[in-house]
Amino acid sequence: MSTTRRRFITQAGLGTAALLAEGGVRRAAADKPLNFAGWVFKPDTVKDYVEFYNKKFSGQVKYEAIPWAQYHPTMETRAFANEIVDVMYCNHNNRERWFENGLIRAIDDLPGADELKKKMAPANLDSLKSKDGSKVLGLPYFTSLFILIYNEPMLQAAGIKAPAKSWDELVEHCTKLKRDKASDTPFLPNWNNSPSGTMPQFMTDCFSEGAQVFDAKNRVIVDQEPGAAKAMERWQKVYKAGLVNPEVLTKTSSTDTHRLFWTGRYAYHTNHSYYLKTIAGEPENSKLAPKKAKMAMYPGTGQTYMWTDSYVVNAKTKVLDDAWKLVRFLGGNLNGDWYVQRQWCLISGLDNPYPEMYDHPEIIKSYDGWIDLKLLREQYKKGKVIAAYKEPWYSEYDTKAVPIVHNMIRGTLPVGQGLKDIVKLQRSLA
Amino acid sequence: MIPALTIVSAVVAFPLVYSLWMSLADVNLLKTTGPAIELFGLRIPLFRFVGEANYARIFADPLYWGSVGRSLYFVAAFVIEATLVGLGMALVLQERFAGRTLMRSLLLIPWSLSRVVVGLLWIGLLDFEFGALNAALHRAGLIDTYIAFFKEGFTALNVLVSVYMWNQAPFATLLFLAGMQSIPVELHLAAEVDGAGYWQRLRYVTLPALRPILFLVLVLATVNGFLMLDLIYILTMGGPGYDTTTISWLGFQTAFNFFKFGPGAAILYTLTAFCLVLTFVYRFLMFRREAAA
Repeated sequence: MSTTRRRFITQAGLGTAALLAEGGVRRAAADKPLNFAGWVFKPDTVKDYVEFYNKKFSGQVKYEAIPWAQYHPTMETRAFANEIVDVMYCNHNNRERWFENGLIRAIDDLPGADELKKKMAPANLDSLKSKDGSKVLGLPYFTSLFILIYNEPMLQAAGIKAPAKSWDELVEHCTKLKRDKASDTPFLPNWNNSPSGTMPQFMTDCFSEGAQVFDAKNRVIVDQEPGAAKAMERWQKVYKAGLVNPEVLTKTSSTDTHRLFWTGRYAYHTNHSYYLKTIAGEPENSKLAPKKAKMAMYPGTGQTYMWTDSYVVNAKTKVLDDAWKLVRFLGGNLNGDWYVQRQWCLISGLDNPYPEMYDHPEIIKSYDGWIDLKLLREQYKKGKVIAAYKEPWYSEYDTKAVPIVHNMIRGTLPVGQGLKDIVKLQRSLA
Repeated sequence: MIPALTIVSAVVAFPLVYSLWMSLADVNLLKTTGPAIELFGLRIPLFRFVGEANYARIFADPLYWGSVGRSLYFVAAFVIEATLVGLGMALVLQERFAGRTLMRSLLLIPWSLSRVVVGLLWIGLLDFEFGALNAALHRAGLIDTYIAFFKEGFTALNVLVSVYMWNQAPFATLLFLAGMQSIPVELHLAAEVDGAGYWQRLRYVTLPALRPILFLVLVLATVNGFLMLDLIYILTMGGPGYDTTTISWLGFQTAFNFFKFGPGAAILYTLTAFCLVLTFVYRFLMFRREAAA
């Protein structure tokens, strides 16, 4: 049975009661309130974590959820107004800028940070480091990567015994399914128009074709990479053949995109790993639950784009000890308990960069309800992080490259020219 | 007088002047050291003055001019649609018929909805995968395959125009209705006595009397058209490609996605300039005869 919010509250309440009964909690109340802000993702669940923390550690944490679109600008305007939000979420694209501009501090010198760093997968740790690699800027909120999801009943009904292992095979399957009228648009790539869509998917498919997107100096080099051209030609081909829902280009989020797969009308989908939790694990929402949608190893080299979002500490916090304690509770193992990290796995399938977590029987059992955990761990071994998002130009590049990629997909821009335009764009911003 | 002036300055003038200043400065909200002014105990950083550099930069960007073109198209189409539909509905609702009061009340529903709700509602109607309109057309045998309304950029832009018109035309109707009710009944009666039919009365009595209201509707529709942002956010995010990227969306992205508040403010100030210019054009075209007299 998957963990629900109700169950979580019950467990949290029982846990707290037990600890209090045993006198196991040192009731050293925090002197000052601590402000904590994050973007909206299951805010009720986060509120539960905060209430649990406040009870267990006699904290005075005030939590606030801000809509995703305004989250980072809001944090900046608050900093501009000299308001101190002690602990914040920060996505990977903004972390370096916040650090360079003095909004957040590194965590290396804080107690227990070294142990947590040792427990993290090296690629994720790199991802959390400053541009020069000398400092770690936060603890992980979650990590994820792109995976390939397939609709098993649809493939079986069409006589396709196993999911595609190569891109050619995937295109072949989709062509057959469309021809047989099993699906109007069998392929659902995450080409949505948000920062979590087209460009991460572009990098993923370049990696899977063995192409690099950035060189060691973080310059875009896709015009020199045959794999990038191959990926774009494939995208153009599947779009032209009508294998893809044409409106995916104007979907506004990866969440909206993955919900299309709930309908059971698509054969293949590429998206962030945690979305399989709702697709294959929520029968109340998805026609492909329980476990009718499955994960397959990403085709080609198997490499996919991986990223890590984080909890960060405000550089001006006046309650550093309390802020760090909360960050360890959220993104680490305060008092040896991976509480929040574990709950995110159980509730939402949000992964974390601590491999030891995945030996926990509760997590193994929960993941078994929606994904092949062993295969997911294998996929993570092929997860590829980039460092380019630490560059000041990255957000603008990442947004402005989307229309170029869309024009290549739609065939209004030849692939060779489009890839050159992406390079030109990056050079103009750097 | 002084308290009133103080409030107006604080609420209107200061943000206006400060944002204009930002369009001429190198703004980084996280770096607020350097020159500043103190207002009521608040430190307001002035940032580094860069003169016209932000404007020069956006004017040199082909994306900006593409966005200007799309904005002008959007505004023109929206103003025409909203004005004609608004006027048409007002003429209908001016007539006496059973249920007129109810119709007048229902009319305001689209206008009173939040634009986010409007966007989501129209996604529900137009979506390629689960849109109710596609399903209805398919069931009626009018289409074989579902229509992708947002596939082609120009179509997507026109869908945005129509959705926004649906949302805003009721307000124009309301203004036109108010204008119609202020026309003395005697004018219509006199025209009838002179043998004027419905269309003649509309042309020679109603429309001339509505000119000040028409001016108001045109100005409001123009300003609202240029400022429209939320429907783009909900329906297309400026795509596919750049095909629904307007100046307001570009300004929003530049300021809040790229954190380039200087160029972002510059883009949005050019939008203000477009609104002002068009307001003067409307005024000139509509009232030139009166001015000449």
